[in-house]
Amino acid sequence: MSAALACDGLTIRFGAFTALSAVSLSFAPRQIHAVCGQNGAGKTTFARACAGLLAPSAGTIQIGGNPLRGGHVKDARAAGVELVHQSFALPPSFTIAEAMEFGLTGKRGAVFTRRGLQARWRGHLEALGVDAKPSTRIRDLPVETQQAVEIARALAGDARVLILDEPTAVLAPAAAEALFERLKRLRDSGVTVLIILHKIREVLAVADTVSVLRGGKLVAGPDDAASLTAARIATAIIGHSPAPAGDSAETAEDIGALVGTDLPHGHRHTLTGPRSVAALTGVTTRPGADGQSLQNITLTVGAGEILGIAGVEGNGQRPLVEALAGLVPLTEGSVTLDGATVTDLPLAERRKRGLRIIPFERNTEGLSLSSPLWENFAARSLLAKSALSLIDPAALRRAAHKAFQSWDVRFTSVDNPARSLSGGNAQKVILSREMDAEAKLIILAQPTRGLDLGATAFVWQAMRETRDRGLGLILISSDLDELFDISDRLIVLQGGRIAGQFAPPYDLGRVGSAMVGEH
Amino acid sequence: MRARLLAIIRAIAFIALALILCGIIFEASGFSAPDMFSAILDGAFLSDGALIHDLRWACPLFVSATGVVVAFRCGYFNVGTQGQFYLGGVGATVAVALLPGLPAVIVTLVAILAGIGFGALWAFWPGWLRIRSGTDEVITTLMGNFIAGLLLVWVTSGPLKDPSGSGQVTSSPPVPLAIRLSTDTGVSVWILALTVLVGVVTWVLVNRTAFGVLGGLAGRNPVMVTWQGARLSRLGLGAFLFSGATAGLAGAMEVLGPDGRLVSGFSPAHGFTAVLIALVANLSVSGSVIVALFFGGLASASLYLPVIAGLPSAAIDMVNAAIALFITSRAMPGWLRLPRRNRS
Repeated sequence: MSAALACDGLTIRFGAFTALSAVSLSFAPRQIHAVCGQNGAGKTTFARACAGLLAPSAGTIQIGGNPLRGGHVKDARAAGVELVHQSFALPPSFTIAEAMEFGLTGKRGAVFTRRGLQARWRGHLEALGVDAKPSTRIRDLPVETQQAVEIARALAGDARVLILDEPTAVLAPAAAEALFERLKRLRDSGVTVLIILHKIREVLAVADTVSVLRGGKLVAGPDDAASLTAARIATAIIGHSPAPAGDSAETAEDIGALVGTDLPHGHRHTLTGPRSVAALTGVTTRPGADGQSLQNITLTVGAGEILGIAGVEGNGQRPLVEALAGLVPLTEGSVTLDGATVTDLPLAERRKRGLRIIPFERNTEGLSLSSPLWENFAARSLLAKSALSLIDPAALRRAAHKAFQSWDVRFTSVDNPARSLSGGNAQKVILSREMDAEAKLIILAQPTRGLDLGATAFVWQAMRETRDRGLGLILISSDLDELFDISDRLIVLQGGRIAGQFAPPYDLGRVGSAMVGEH
Repeated sequence: MRARLLAIIRAIAFIALALILCGIIFEASGFSAPDMFSAILDGAFLSDGALIHDLRWACPLFVSATGVVVAFRCGYFNVGTQGQFYLGGVGATVAVALLPGLPAVIVTLVAILAGIGFGALWAFWPGWLRIRSGTDEVITTLMGNFIAGLLLVWVTSGPLKDPSGSGQVTSSPPVPLAIRLSTDTGVSVWILALTVLVGVVTWVLVNRTAFGVLGGLAGRNPVMVTWQGARLSRLGLGAFLFSGATAGLAGAMEVLGPDGRLVSGFSPAHGFTAVLIALVANLSVSGSVIVALFFGGLASASLYLPVIAGLPSAAIDMVNAAIALFITSRAMPGWLRLPRRNRS
């Protein structure tokens, strides 16, 4: 039986940088193959090369035994290889049917009727179990359905190898489970699935074989997933690089949370004092554009405390951050920060009082991707000054350089645009800006989403250190493992209300039923 | 540094492409392209007094272009330079008309300030609409140009009309010589000093103030600076007012300098060319100096061509238009390809 996809000595260089170095492996047909590794390990490069988007600098790729001309995506398509990108590629203004027909195939010229198109694709969507009308526009779909449509689009032709690049990065845990079920059904119907993942728990949940990339080299695999343990995969991914700083007990627990095993959770933190750094009292907001609002929220965050906010996404997490930031008007209630009422103060004033925010959307709300790194870093300190005050760009560049170094950001020059960084490094830039010495309350909204193991552990360590310095932290996450591991206290938001408060050790069953509104 | 080099190469490439396109059209319409270009070169830079003429046009163009640089960097596409320029001219003329008998220095100063104020005012209302209700500033500032043009016709044929004036073009009475910034050649120490001052102030504003850095960030990603606590409305209004003020100053410089009076429909391509300068210079203040000298040369050549060389001055309009075509095409600087409707 020939391999569904095989590569031999596959090497990809970008200038002087070698992204993939002599990777040789072969994937058996009708299986789900996971490829994992840290950010920068070469996972996405590997996926793109297999899909014909990148031409190998050396080595070959074979699909079903036939060599693939590198860099020719049409050849790869013709051979039945389809890639679902990390960020979605369907035009948002198209209906599903239009996107399926024209979205990526580039077909043009043919006369069509809307009804004909919809009829053609309705059956295809139903066969794949995608629950959406073909007349719906892409932009109106929830993210998991968009992804399902992307997959359906990829399978519209005669795809035999489906490659997914970090498909779970954008999904809530339940949606990830649904995706895995979908992929297993595809496998059973004869499709070979190549899935790029960085969460070990997800790898174990879905994969038949596991391959690990590190620094552009294949360090393990493809190995039978049944023969692997989470710890072994973690070791292969992290390699012999030094473990994240911090005491070993915490590191062990981090790895436990990363791999999703249930380590006993010891409540090790006892600093929580009576002093509150922030409080919301009876806060109510009008529904925003996304329909979310807050209903009579009262909560406090103590100095030296990490308050976890759990909940199904879209249940008030965003308005909660906006209410604390002063970016949404309150219809009722008040906000205090460091003992002072700030209900009517704009964000700039709240920031002066020590509020810091790591926003939900790293690439739009957290950074200006096309601006130089130093400007991204300097923004916060510049906003504390008056607009016409003179600045010294050289000094600001040096300050950014220093901060990035102490936060272990991998960058080449502070003059490079922020988009030159990988997700983990970009997040570290935001942390370096927001976790400064004057901070008092730090809100972290999904701070580890899309980050790899090493970067995730780094963020957690940074949170613990700032907590131990006596700051208050609010962690909003849809990753319950993360929340359970790190929160000193947990609040569940449901429908814009507080549906439950929990103290460690957390009971997954009780937190889970609060999240879905069963008391 | 590499980015700057790239911007320079790109600007030169755009101009080269535009010249090639124009050359083809010249040949196709029966002119000799080499003759035409050598005449343009003479008129712009090489003939006697060409450099003085170049400066005469380049100075006000540069002053207006600095305002465009600031507004565009902040993400606000104020293309109302022409209207703000006209209002500046009107403001200066009104000040001169209202202050007879005062010492010349004071009148000149007040006239300059009036020009700045009127220009800023003409940028204020589109800025206000933009910030309060998201009205597209490209539409409002563009419409403002036409309103300002008609306003100029009205004041020069009504309240500010030169009673002794004859001929087809209406204008205000001449500005008394003592109040003028420059005379014959159109360039003077005062004009140059004002231009340099504006250049230095704008350079500092863009490169050495918190406003400059935050404005640049806001222009590229307004959402990010909002989460940092910036008030976009203030930043934006500041950018609008500054760009209106510089265009107004350029208008005042024309009236108090080379033109010596407010002429209906004066310098009709000024605003368009100022925007073009800012774009070709990749929104850099120092780059705008060089580019303004280039376009100043073209402006002086457009007078030289028909008078000395007997060639149509429309050739210069074509060169300008061709450069605009290339610079605004898909290869536009990264700045301007931002999704600009993503801010509330």
